[in-house]
Amino acid sequence: MKKWLLVSISLLLMFAAVGCSKSESVNSDGKKTITMWVHISDENEEGKVYKKRVEAFNKKYAPDNIKAKIEFIPRSGNGGGYEDKVNAALTTSTLPDVITLDGPNTAAYAKSGVIAPLDEYVKDQEDLLPSIKQQGTYKDKLYAIGVSESSVGIYYNKRMLQEAGVDLNTLPTVDNPWTWDQFLALCKTLKDKYDKPAIDMQLQSKDEMLTYALTPFVWSADGDIISKDGKKAEGVFNKKPTVEALTFIQTMLKEGYTTRTPVKQAFETEKYPMKISGVWTVTDMKTNYQKVDYGVIPYPVSPKTKKLVSPSGSWQFAMTQTSENKEWAAKLVDWMTNKDSNVELSRTIAALPVRYSSEKVMAKEFSDQMNVFLKQLKETGHARPVTPAYPQVTRAFQQTIDDISFYDQNKDIQKVLDTHAKEMQSAIDKAN
Amino acid sequence: MSKIGWKENRGVYTFLRPEERTKNKTRWKENVVAYTFLGPALLLLSMFLVIPSIMSVYYSFTDYYLLTPDMRKFVGLDNFINLFQDPIFLKSLVNTLEFVVWVIPLQIGAALGLALLLNKQRKANTFFKVAYFSPVVMSLVVISVLWLYLLNPNEGIINNVLTYFGISAQPFLTSPKQAIFTIVVVSAWQGAGFQMLIFLAGLQNIPGDVYEAAQLDGINKWQRFMYITLPLLKPTSIFIFITTLIGAFKLLVQPMVMTQGGPVNSTMTVVYYIYQTGFTDRMVGYASSIALLFGTIIGLVTITQRKLVKEDED
Repeated sequence: MKKWLLVSISLLLMFAAVGCSKSESVNSDGKKTITMWVHISDENEEGKVYKKRVEAFNKKYAPDNIKAKIEFIPRSGNGGGYEDKVNAALTTSTLPDVITLDGPNTAAYAKSGVIAPLDEYVKDQEDLLPSIKQQGTYKDKLYAIGVSESSVGIYYNKRMLQEAGVDLNTLPTVDNPWTWDQFLALCKTLKDKYDKPAIDMQLQSKDEMLTYALTPFVWSADGDIISKDGKKAEGVFNKKPTVEALTFIQTMLKEGYTTRTPVKQAFETEKYPMKISGVWTVTDMKTNYQKVDYGVIPYPVSPKTKKLVSPSGSWQFAMTQTSENKEWAAKLVDWMTNKDSNVELSRTIAALPVRYSSEKVMAKEFSDQMNVFLKQLKETGHARPVTPAYPQVTRAFQQTIDDISFYDQNKDIQKVLDTHAKEMQSAIDKAN
Repeated sequence: MSKIGWKENRGVYTFLRPEERTKNKTRWKENVVAYTFLGPALLLLSMFLVIPSIMSVYYSFTDYYLLTPDMRKFVGLDNFINLFQDPIFLKSLVNTLEFVVWVIPLQIGAALGLALLLNKQRKANTFFKVAYFSPVVMSLVVISVLWLYLLNPNEGIINNVLTYFGISAQPFLTSPKQAIFTIVVVSAWQGAGFQMLIFLAGLQNIPGDVYEAAQLDGINKWQRFMYITLPLLKPTSIFIFITTLIGAFKLLVQPMVMTQGGPVNSTMTVVYYIYQTGFTDRMVGYASSIALLFGTIIGLVTITQRKLVKEDED
């Protein structure tokens, strides 16, 4: 009896000890280990690329006795799963050396001291695309580097446009975009021909896609969501440019050019001639809807400014403040986002590169559609607002869109904007 | 040796008779056995319920931000003051109350109706029981996704049927006026099977001779239901009422999957708002204060309800 008790108690203590000890940064064989958490599954194409790149890293730095270890913690829908694990690790201070984080989280993580600035270690920042730097920078310091880039454009069905009498050669390009009025005229032609919404603007999605896809309209009108220093939403968001942009969206709805309740996969199954969507739809079209002959045009622009702006941003790599091997952690971040990693990822999935050097390589390999995205991104990409209160800011924006889409109940756009700008402002004030 | 037969009690030794001694010893032994059995359950309960509850009460008076757990400070009643000025919280409270007020009569009424039908019906009884009960065992997420397809404004089967009969297609989940009622109906449909089974058990416990005696007095069916079935079902009904009420207050999954709280916050519930402020906005302190306030409200409602029922009995 006593012996049994003794054994079980010592076992318990052993587990407890193991549970408490932080993963050692130096292995028994004298190798330093850099651990990294990523938000996707190792069965995913993207995950496989990461794994390969980590193996290459280990091979290259084997003489330095460095070993990187990658852990796959797939996220669910809204970032749950992975982010839960990061949050839990924060309370117990068991974060790894390198983590991945979504673009808009940069400010919150940097402000809270979860991630550390990379400037001291990553010297070659000139090669990074401006949108990537913008996304990863908080208070003039670079904290994170994008895994890949992403963008949104307008997909159109070539056959349906031609049958409606549209000359495809007159369609806009990144160098010569259309104004909102020209775009409305195109929508009218298509609506008259097919008696269906001309475009799926993804207004039914009540998530980040709404912010991602629709903020460029505000930016194009020379408006903004929050001020550049991230301190003001009132007096920035509820201004005339936003009213103009939202009036355009409301007109699209009122005229029946788009709808709050689109038919599922309407563009992919050739029911609607156009759809606003991200680069990822290219992969979807390639694998699931090969028969559809489609093209991509850039965002329409405000008739006043004629300024083309497009969304950008994706998940990124960053090193943690608690890392004991900052030099090597930063090296790993740099490695995972370098030209080779970038090109490999872009070749595997429809992802845009984050560097000028890799962009040059990919521009030659990409399809026409992908190149529209690439050019639009390189020249006009705009990162989402950088603020620790991003979750509330993006939700307030989504609710603004939701509100104004009920145009008969919310005729006064300015009033809607005032309400939500106030919400944003109070969240920003609390967070700063 | 001199202490044998003495029981220590705050340092005072009193003499115990031998039989009492053995009694105490067995009682002690029994206690040890009982606590050993209770142990694991108590441990888990305190780990996952008691301790977290106490912690969240504490957090509700702090400015705990999810990413900086070590930097939280005590802020007194600030969270609660903000709470009463938070339009979304107030809206979610109204929505939740609205949901409760509608779903309780609908769900319990449906459950009672089904139970009465099944109690009479002998043919294929098991089939119907399984049919009505199956939504209860299905995952709420699955149910919600299923209804999303049924209620789809364009391709959904329900709207197709409606238009076939000449009724215009309804927006259901995409209209701020209809969304919460749609969720009421879906929730009642999903949950009623459980209450139905309990009612059924209650019905079968009513002794047959009461009905026989009443029949001799020549009562009609309606009187039979009103004066015999319903009063005798009272204990069952009270149990069902309280559990359904508490369950209804906790509404989360259906709006989360079906409407994401929209359109225009018309289906934002308190529990969903707690989740959103705590995990999306990372304001754990604020979320805890909502949880504490809401817990208190549910507690008060339940206590009032118990009191009313008791007074009724007297």
